[in-house]
Order: sequence, then C-alpha cells, then structure tokens
Amino acid sequence: MKAVKGKLYFGGIHPKGAKELSSSASLEVMPLPEVVTVSTSQSLGKPSTVIVEKGQAVKEGEIIAKADGAISSNVFASVSGTVTDIKEGVGAGGNRETYIVISRNSPDGATAEAEGGAFRFPPLDNPTAEEIKTRIFDCGIVGLGGAGFPTAVKVAPRTPVDTLILNGAECEPYLTCDHRLMLEKTDEIVRGARLIAKAIGVTNIIIGIEANKPDAIAKFEPYEDIKVVILKKQYPMGGEKQLIYVTTGRRVGLGKLPADSGVIVQNVATAYSVCEAVELGKPLYERVITVSGKGIAQPKNLWVRVGTSVKDIVEYCGGESEALKKAVLGGPMTGTAIANYDTYTHKTTSGILLFTAKEASADEPTPCLNCGKCADVCPMHLMPMNTAFYSAEGDFEAAAKYGNVSACIECGACEYICPARRPLIQAIRKTKAELRKLNQERK
Amino acid sequence: MDNSIVISTPPHVKAKQTTKSIMLDVVIALLPCAICGLVYFGWQALMLELVAVASCVASEFVYFFIANKGFSNKCRDAKAVCLRWWKQFDLTSVVTGLILALILPPATAWYVVIIGSIFAIAVVKMFFGGTGKNLVNPAATGRVFAFLCFAAIAASTAYTAPNFGALMDVESSFVSSSATNLAGLLPSKGDPTSNLHILDLFLGTGVKGCIGETCKLAIIVGYIYLCVRNVIKWWQPLLFTAVFGLTAWLMGGFFYEKYTLDIALFLPNILSGGVLFAAVFMFTDYVTSPKGVIGQLVYLIVSAIVLALLRYYTHIEVASFVILLMNLFIPYFDKFLIRKPFGFKREKVQKEGK
Repeated sequence: MKAVKGKLYFGGIHPKGAKELSSSASLEVMPLPEVVTVSTSQSLGKPSTVIVEKGQAVKEGEIIAKADGAISSNVFASVSGTVTDIKEGVGAGGNRETYIVISRNSPDGATAEAEGGAFRFPPLDNPTAEEIKTRIFDCGIVGLGGAGFPTAVKVAPRTPVDTLILNGAECEPYLTCDHRLMLEKTDEIVRGARLIAKAIGVTNIIIGIEANKPDAIAKFEPYEDIKVVILKKQYPMGGEKQLIYVTTGRRVGLGKLPADSGVIVQNVATAYSVCEAVELGKPLYERVITVSGKGIAQPKNLWVRVGTSVKDIVEYCGGESEALKKAVLGGPMTGTAIANYDTYTHKTTSGILLFTAKEASADEPTPCLNCGKCADVCPMHLMPMNTAFYSAEGDFEAAAKYGNVSACIECGACEYICPARRPLIQAIRKTKAELRKLNQERK
Repeated sequence: MDNSIVISTPPHVKAKQTTKSIMLDVVIALLPCAICGLVYFGWQALMLELVAVASCVASEFVYFFIANKGFSNKCRDAKAVCLRWWKQFDLTSVVTGLILALILPPATAWYVVIIGSIFAIAVVKMFFGGTGKNLVNPAATGRVFAFLCFAAIAASTAYTAPNFGALMDVESSFVSSSATNLAGLLPSKGDPTSNLHILDLFLGTGVKGCIGETCKLAIIVGYIYLCVRNVIKWWQPLLFTAVFGLTAWLMGGFFYEKYTLDIALFLPNILSGGVLFAAVFMFTDYVTSPKGVIGQLVYLIVSAIVLALLRYYTHIEVASFVILLMNLFIPYFDKFLIRKPFGFKREKVQKEGK
C-alpha cells in the first residue's frame, strides 16, 4: 500500500546515523567458524536445559537445549560437529551463562559435515494457526530486535488483538542489518508477517520504516495487504510503545503489554525467521549481524551462526583499523560494551561495533546542571535527573517516585543528550535492581 | 584490542554538547551586550566587566584551593590542586561574572563589583556545593547584595546614573498620572517622535540603565544565538516577556483617571529596564529553574506576573529581586509538578480514589 506518514511524539533524540558505513554492504554469508560456543541464555526468561552430553555428535540445526518453562526458547546447534565442552562462563552482560561448545573438527580429525546435512523440521504447506504457533516454539524463535522475548509467547496473546506491526524502524545508529534484510529479503519478510498474522488471527499488517530508508519503503509499497508507515528519523522510534503510538495512535498503558492495546509488534528479522521456520523448517541458529564502526577495517552485514566468537567475526572483517576505545555488542544506544573478544554472539546480537576514541565518548561526568535536557528527550516522559539524584543518595524509593523508573525503557536518550555526561542509565538500572530487592524482601 | 578499552553502561555515543560548550555559548551570547556597554558607557563599563569576571574566577579558584587542602602541608599539593581546578573549570564563573557586571549601573565603583562577585561565587555558589548545586541565581543575588550594601552610595554619588534610569523615565510619568505629562513622553501614534522614543529604548541610545541591559538589540542577538545553539528553549524568554508585558500593560491602565488600554504603552514596559535581559539570560538559567517543562511554564508565568506587579508598586527595577524570590520556590515546583509518563491513564487515579 502507498506509504503514509506516522504520527509524531514528544521527546527523542537525533543522533548521527553513521549508517552509511555499512548500509551499502550486501548481506554476506560468513564462512563457518571452527568452533561455536552457544549460550543457553538466548532469550528473556529462564535459560534452556542442556540435553546433549560432552562428546556427542550433533548435526547443524539439531536441538541441544530445550526450553525450560513458558518464557524460554529452544537452542540449536549452529554447526555440525562434536560437543567438546559444556562450561559455565560470564556473559557480556555480566550474568552467568552455560555454554555448549561445538567443534566442527571431531577429535579424531574427521570433519562432521561429511556425516550428513543439516537437520530440518518438515516444511509446512498452508499451515493452520495452531501449526504455525507450534512451529515458532519448536524453532526457538525469539524477538530479534534485541530484547529476545520468545515469539511463541507473543503470538499467543491473552487479549484480543487486531493489528500486527512489523518493526523496521532500526532507529539505532550504525546498525543496518534490518535495512539490508528488508532490501534483499522483502518477500520472505512479507510471507513471514502473513504467517504471524494468521497465527494470531489478524489481517491488518502495518510496517513502520524510518524515513532514512526510502529504498526499503519503496520495496514494501507494492504489497497490497501491508500498510507502510514512514517514521520520522528519531531515536527511539523503534521502541515498542513509541512505534505503536506513531503507527496506530494507541497508547500502551504503564505496565501493560502491547497486546492489551490490541497490537503485536514483531521485528522484521523475526518475521523473516518465522518464514524460514515454516516454509523450510529451519530452526533459528543464524542471523544477520552488522559489523561496523570506524575501528573495523571492512564494515559488513554478515549472516552469522549463533555462538560465533567475536574474534572470528572481527578477523573476517579485516581486523581493527585503528586503536579502539570501545567494543560494543549490539547497538550503540543499548548494546553491551565488551572487555575482550572472547564473547559469543546470541540470537539477539544485532551488531558488533568497534569504536575509536572519536566516536565513543568516555568523558568524565561533571556535576549535574539541572538543565532538564534528559527529561525533554525522554520518550516515556520521565525525569531521569531525579532518579540519578535520589539513587546517588541511596533513597531508591524516592528515586522511583520522582523519576518514575518503572516506566523506563532504558533507551539511553537521556544519557546521550546529557551535557554533564552523567551516568543516568547506570543510576536507573541500579534503582530498578534495588527496587526488585526491596520488593522481594517485603514478600 | 588493548588495555585502553573502556567498559560502561550504554549509550556508547554521546551528544557533542557539554557543560563547558554550553557555558562558552552563553559567554558568546553575552558578548553583544558587553560590547554595547563599552560603546554606550565607555571604558569604565569594560573595566567593570573585566573586574567582575576576574574576581568571580579568582574567588572560585581560591575557594576550591582552600576546600581541597591546597594550603595544607606547606602547599605541598598546590600544583596538583591547581591542575584539578583547571580540569573541572567549566566557565560557569565567567558567565556569572559577566552577567553580574552587565546588570550593574556603569557608574558602580570597582570595589562594589568585587564584593558582589565574591558574594555571588563564594557564598551563593561554592558554599552550596559548586556548579549545579546553588539554590539561587548567583549573579542576581550578587547584584541584590551589592545594591543593599551600598544603597547609601547609590543615593549619593556612585549611582548618579540611576540604575533604574530608563524605567524611571517612563514610569515616573505614570506616577504623576497626569495625561499631559504622559502625552509628552508618549505622544499619539501619528507623531514620529513616539516611534523614536521606542526606538531609543530598543537601541539603548540616550537611555540611562545598566551596562548590558540598555541595548535590547544586542540582547535579541544573544537570544537568537542561544536558540540556534540549542542552549535555551526558544519559547521561554518569549513567554516570560509576553506575560510580563500583558500584565504590566493591564496594570498600566490604572495610571489614568479613566482606565485606558493604549497599545502604545505595551512596548515601553518591556523595553525599559532589565526585563528583556533577565528573560533571556537569567530566567533561563539551568540550575535555578524547575526541572520539567510544566514546572518551567508555571515558573515563568508566575515570575512574570510577580515582576510586573512589584515593578508597578515599587517603581524600581526589581528583576533581580524577583529572580531571588522565585528561585526559593523551585523545590516546590519540582516536588509537585512531576510529569506523567507516556501511557499514563487518568482514570486509574479516579479508581484508586473510590
């Protein structure tokens, strides 16, 4: 359908996109790494339960860890090979994770690929809603936008839903993986979206794309059943609540899910993997990752297997080009800074960014000026400076009351704009953690 | 990858604007006013500006030096303390000094300026914790302090060019409330001298007043610069001036035997005295204004009305006093005017009420 302009909302920032670094690099399949290290914490909720043993041979696409409970996801072997180790480790975010190490070379020297192709579920032809939902769960699909909420839970809403929104905003600077996917896999994304829509029983599909991707907008316009909404280039346009508001005009209440407003939001990459899962029976063990930043020799958009080490990816992209200041897993606004390259990609890793000192600011914080810029840009209309002020004093309840921390989506806009370089997100996370502790104590 | 790598919470990219760059922008925006002071009032004005800036920076440095134990152990750490001071120096004291000089009359004695500066920086700012911690506007407080301490001098010699000169010109005629007197000052619209009067007030030519407050054109240039550089919100000075002008205009109507509202009386109120300067440079001060947009709106409207009323009853320029007064209410603005988050629904509150 002809593209229409989305609504506007108060707040938000306009960071330098820096997408030109990698936006022209076509999707490229990275050669299989020798070793993959797959974490069992691939989604929100509980880590999956390991069901393979050390020394066991696994095929590509074979399930190696089963979902544990409702909010969890299946994890698959991303290469064929032998499980050489099952170890505990600390993830990039600082939490303990269990890793399953799969080596393509079995100890006796023979490569495992000779033993047979990849594992696939049987492809579904014209599936029912129930079949799609089961397949989404079986294939371990999670939201690929970054949060990693299991898609199987999302497509089974408790309240009636009338709209499916595809998130093609990609408002984070630097990242271009969704952009390239929309350009090169348009039809698959649309088919995946139709499948999700069928699973949740809606016909109204909206895709929101930021105005800085006119080529992607043009690609989606020919589809008659998809409503294309052009979003203003503004961060965080791709935040769930903001996206719902600008595309449909609905406000999701505080502490409510989008489904409560009759909307389901899915990332375009998620729609693509749903399409693959249903039509090809391929589980989710591969995704597009943007490798960018001034610190990398060749910025690329790569198909990367889950569990590939950052080191392999950086080496494939030509290594570092300049002295680094920061290495980030994910987007520059919400991603995790990593200390070394011994970190492994997850289903939710959307980018690997190597920043030089010029790009990544590491200024010392100066006293708060009380300028209120953080409140002006907050897309949730909160008061981050109050949170920072009270949490520094240790009064976390006042921090929550005057800063409204519970509604914070941790988009990072406040800290981006802060002229005094205050660590606001850190204060907000600390307050959230302390409040959780306080609530538990009360119980 | 080497050891110089930094780990922190997101976001990993930041905006260019820093505290220092904001303060530099304010200094640049104040320069037209400072230059106009030099043009209209001569070298004395420039000297006062320099003295004020120097004594503000110096008093900040001395306070920092003492507070950081620069004198202990026979000044052993003096160099390190100086370096630390330079590292944290963010031009706020330069801004304070410049504003303080610009809101003083050109005939002020140099020692009055120094005393005002020391009070503004040491007592108002540093005692409360330095940049960002002061409760009230340092420059306004320094000026009020100087004014109250040296009122005697003001009455006799040093203040012969009255600090409220321009305002007196207009409003003393209001006080007399005689139609003829007023007509002499503000003739009917058809008369070209009427426009000249407004133009004089606007450019500050031949008008008595404070160093930086007389030339409104320079203030407007500074205002545009601050807006372009995204330092202040464009609507703040406009809202303040509009509300002030409206209130003063309505009040001004009472001066006549019969209540009249002449549109020609609207501009002189705004253009006289330091209202415009305060609106652009002082009511928009980050540290001493409420945090949220709603708070700022209410704060500016209330301040404008209070200023207009006080001015009407006292017949002197009270902008600094009003700033000082209203600053004290800011914690209440911050406490009671909290923004509602996106997606907040009012009916929720009503349910709880039942």
